[in-house]
Amino acid sequence: MTGQPRRLPVGGRVDRTSPISFTFDGRTYQGLRGDTLASALLANGVDVVARSFKFGRPRGIVGSGAEEPNAIVRIGSGARALPNQRATQVELYGGLVGVSSAVHGLRGLIDAARRVLPAGFYYKMLMAPPMLWRFWEHVLRRGAGLGTVPQGADPDRYDKLNRHCDVMVVGAGPAGLAAALVAARCGARVVIADEQDAFGGSLLSSALRIGGRPAAEWVVEGVRELRTFEHVAMLPRSTVVGLYDHGFLTVLERCADHLPVAAGPAVRERLHRVRAKEIVLAAGAIERPLVFANNDLPGVMLASAVSCYVNRFGVAPGERLVLATTNDGGYRTALDWQRAGLEVVAVADTRPDPNGALPRAAREAGIRVLPGHGVVEAVGHAHVRAALVAPLNTAGTALTGTPRRITCDLIASSGGWNPAVHLSSQTGTRPVWREEAVGFVAGQRRGLHCAGAVTGASTVEACLAQGATAGASAARAAGLAPGKAELPTTDEAAQEAQQALFVIPHVRDTSRAPPQFVDLQLDVTAADIELAAREGYESVEHAKRYTALGFGTDQGKLGNVNGIAVLARALGREIGDVGTTMFRPAYTPATFGAIAGRDVGDLFDPERHTPMHAWHEAQGAVWEDVGRWKRPRYYPEPGEEMDAAVARECVAARTGVAMMDASTLGKIDVQGRDAARFLDRIYAGGFLKLGVGTCRYGVMLKDDGMLFDDGVTVRLDDERYLVHTTTGNAEAVLAWLELWRQTEWPDLDVYLTSVTDHWATVAVVGPKAREVLGRVCSDIDLAADAFPFMACREGHVADVRARVLRISFSGELSFEVNVPAGKAVAVWEALMAAGSADGITPYGTETMHVLRAEKGFIIVGQDTDGSMTPHDMGLDWAVRHGKRHGFVGERSLALADYQRPDRLQLVGLRTVEPADVIPEGAQIVADVDRTRSGRVPMHGFVTSSYFSATLGRSIALAMLKGGRGRLGETVHCPLDNGKVLAAEVVGPVFYDPDGERQHG
Amino acid sequence: MAEGVVLAKLPVRGLLNLRLPTGAPATPAVAQLVGLALPETPCTCAAGADVAAYWLAPGEWLVAVNAGAEAELESRLRSALDGTGAVVDVSAGYVRYNLRGSAVAELLMKACPYDFDRRTFGPGRCVQTVFAKATALIAGVEDASFDLAIRRSYADYFERWTADAASAYGG
Amino acid sequence: MLLLQCPHCLEARSEEEFDYAGEAHIQRPAPGVSDAEWTDYLYFRSNPQGRHREMWVHTAGCRRYFNVVRDTGSYEVLAVYPIGANPPPGEREVETLAAETPR
Repeated sequence: MTGQPRRLPVGGRVDRTSPISFTFDGRTYQGLRGDTLASALLANGVDVVARSFKFGRPRGIVGSGAEEPNAIVRIGSGARALPNQRATQVELYGGLVGVSSAVHGLRGLIDAARRVLPAGFYYKMLMAPPMLWRFWEHVLRRGAGLGTVPQGADPDRYDKLNRHCDVMVVGAGPAGLAAALVAARCGARVVIADEQDAFGGSLLSSALRIGGRPAAEWVVEGVRELRTFEHVAMLPRSTVVGLYDHGFLTVLERCADHLPVAAGPAVRERLHRVRAKEIVLAAGAIERPLVFANNDLPGVMLASAVSCYVNRFGVAPGERLVLATTNDGGYRTALDWQRAGLEVVAVADTRPDPNGALPRAAREAGIRVLPGHGVVEAVGHAHVRAALVAPLNTAGTALTGTPRRITCDLIASSGGWNPAVHLSSQTGTRPVWREEAVGFVAGQRRGLHCAGAVTGASTVEACLAQGATAGASAARAAGLAPGKAELPTTDEAAQEAQQALFVIPHVRDTSRAPPQFVDLQLDVTAADIELAAREGYESVEHAKRYTALGFGTDQGKLGNVNGIAVLARALGREIGDVGTTMFRPAYTPATFGAIAGRDVGDLFDPERHTPMHAWHEAQGAVWEDVGRWKRPRYYPEPGEEMDAAVARECVAARTGVAMMDASTLGKIDVQGRDAARFLDRIYAGGFLKLGVGTCRYGVMLKDDGMLFDDGVTVRLDDERYLVHTTTGNAEAVLAWLELWRQTEWPDLDVYLTSVTDHWATVAVVGPKAREVLGRVCSDIDLAADAFPFMACREGHVADVRARVLRISFSGELSFEVNVPAGKAVAVWEALMAAGSADGITPYGTETMHVLRAEKGFIIVGQDTDGSMTPHDMGLDWAVRHGKRHGFVGERSLALADYQRPDRLQLVGLRTVEPADVIPEGAQIVADVDRTRSGRVPMHGFVTSSYFSATLGRSIALAMLKGGRGRLGETVHCPLDNGKVLAAEVVGPVFYDPDGERQHG
Repeated sequence: MAEGVVLAKLPVRGLLNLRLPTGAPATPAVAQLVGLALPETPCTCAAGADVAAYWLAPGEWLVAVNAGAEAELESRLRSALDGTGAVVDVSAGYVRYNLRGSAVAELLMKACPYDFDRRTFGPGRCVQTVFAKATALIAGVEDASFDLAIRRSYADYFERWTADAASAYGG
Repeated sequence: MLLLQCPHCLEARSEEEFDYAGEAHIQRPAPGVSDAEWTDYLYFRSNPQGRHREMWVHTAGCRRYFNVVRDTGSYEVLAVYPIGANPPPGEREVETLAAETPR
């Protein structure tokens, strides 16, 4: 045990055979397997583990679990570093590297800072002139913070698992184990999780006997029985971090955080997403420290933590103990301490006449008990050297004598227990104050069964009984037949009433006494809370924000209730009336890795591929993300930049032949007796008289009359249509059509089926398209009069059954060849081969954009944003009023506001300098001279803008106020580089305005 | 049972999306053409010789037949329906897979929010649900064996996601 | 994370399979109404704290829409019923009462 001066010679659940070494803040220490980082540090006599957040005061380990406010550490280094860990919950392993998170506090200021950083400091500073904030920001940023961001991408693996169960048991202490056993015996699917590495909870550090045997044996037996059930999942090292609605919980399992880094490719942390029919909340309770002057000194600890270190880890965090308590339970720590052969100097019990079994046992053991006394102040600089103890009045609210100094190096305090109600209140159920338990307990909620210390139960026997009852009632509520519950007895003594006391008064009043810390992590004192109350922050939520009480990563697990008590005292109100603040997930911090799981890297979001994806890739296509689809943006030749590639592709389409993969367009099969009537109501245009084998462009509006989607619809036969949607809108359009079909017109005989993935589409485009297609298609007459523009024909292309549409999004002669996706690659390659002699050129979305913009064809979602009517876009020709049933959005088109002449309207822009390409999104102003004044009326904005190789100049589409009435006017686009581009307002069609080419 | 997880692409079949008016039971003519009684119980499927039918929604099924047989069945069904239902060839719209092995249940727990508890989900059951960030039609084949139909454009994502998840089992 | 009983699949499914589809039982006024009445229909919804009748669609499942009565405060689902069906009688009364409560 050399090097572990505070390790007791015997005891604890630690392996003493082979010490392991670890480093903390750069120094190497020895610890034991079974230690936490905190117990190992205490064994080594390390008492200062942090500097406080605001004042830079030295801080030591206070607790032994999730409540720890001070020992916040970063484990590991580089990309694997795990910040924000509580040393009390970090399992020790050989080679562990820990770094204290808050060592860089404002040490120089220390106590002086308390004078300049009062409660509400941040608030007041933010309200002060901004110059002052700049000064403070500099000071504070240097000092603040609880850790650093890990460097580099996290190399570890995290994943998620969806679980379903009848009963989820939160916590595997006595109550949780009893509940799980009873529920499992009823046949319930059970998930039981506990944050510790072993099940047992408080029993792991208890000297109690259950059913005549040591508590640990009862735990082992219970765990063994649970293992026999196939339908029970046991999750140690798993913290239930979130409890949401409808029985949904998130459980963070630390699979490999307790192992050295070289553990391999295994999962480091796993997030279980549990859906439970019923929940047993057996999360236990967290001891409440007493608030007294200088109570933040290293050497002031929770009584239960002291017991835990002695009993579970064989570590004595000091030599001479003073215990400050308000209840019988605290005496266990004095007894544990003495049993370990250490000196109990005194027990200061605030109650005037403690006479329960435990106080009696303490007296019988020769321990000096001071009834009606409180520890009013801890004395020392970097560590406790003495306690000032003074007699109190019966209520504990005032001193009745002079404090005396008692030399000691450890002060353990117990002010009672705070039930761990955090999870129950995450869904909005307010905790309820229970006077007899001196604590907030969980509010009632259907499906939530509370058991054990979380209800305020103070004995293990009560916890076991409540657990059994909760397990049985949860199983019953989940629909299972009841099983039998055996209740073991314990040798635990009954306890007398505790005293509801939170702050030990000082000789001086609160504002003049040495600081009485309420929230250790954020340095909030009782005086701060009183100040908040004086300044009018009477609501607990306001006081929290004003003082930062509970804002730390520990969410105030130790300090909140004491803070509420101080506020209640200051306001002269009852604690229950003041109420708690809201607890939110996560109960303890969860890593982003676990939240992301495997949805990282190229699995972050699905990439949708067309059947020709591999071909495009082999051709070196540069990709564009369109929704979830990967689409070729352009196909650069070696050494070619985008502009050159696009110019080449455009020229091929306009002068020769080119080809595009259009498979991503949404396709919906519309079938049934009423298919025509349905489409006629959905589309703004008329669809009743569309002939079989012909196509029509249509626009769909939302109910507000705004353009929602557009595309070509084909009538395949009398009762069957194929609707094309834009790529990005395919799902939304189908959902929209289904909404109308299912909720408005259920009487219509019409059925909608997505065939987007079934059909692949190849657009063959250009003056030579007919010639090229003709080489691989013999059973369709492609002649202009036999197969006119906007017609549809069925036949074979490259021996594959195909549906060919003569539609054009480029303005050129164009055939869109649709074949089943499974055969698309063969057809694509056959068409490429058929056109090779004519230099057939594959083109991507960028060229498609240029070609369509030259023609003034809009793209919904690029040129529109959900606030444009067909009239705004110059699409009145695609709207037909007077249909028998009207169409969706028609009434809105008549709204007065839609008739305003100054609405934004689609126009074209020609820059005065042909080479200037206006950036998309550029704002349009009318008066260039006023651009410098800073306030210029906006007249519109540019939606699409390209350099047209065909026209040898830039072109742009824009939305301009009253645009169609302003043709010929010159407008200006100020750019962020200070340049202003002048442009002439023109019609939106730049190329072949009469459409001769596409009709060719 | 295979160790870990085994993912196999299934041979192409003809797939028809079939719709009938809800409320009215399928006519004998439709059942005769399909070759089996369409399952009316939600989230179940039925199989006959060379044909299977999966319940997708009230009045909606996915009918799987031998590759090449779908075109004729489609046109016969359309005539039989006479405008009061619909039939659509979606054969190329899906890629079909089989997932099996000792770890397949856990892999599905990673992928799906649906509860594939073996006591309630086995042969004869099918479900449409979320699979990772895509969706899937999943049918029970036998213990620890499931057939999946994935929309074709998501097949690459599905394969990569599944391979990644299965790598934890050395499969 | 809600758990919704799909009235078509007859199973309780997790929220990620569904999409919310707006308030249910909204009556579309006849085209002849005034602009004010029409825009009230377009843009105004009840948005209560408490019982709310709303539509959901089982996007990843059967793709069918259905109605839900849900308490927007507690998130409790009080009723699930198909499109076209009337809300359960009790729910209708509650809704009427809520509408009469001054806001």
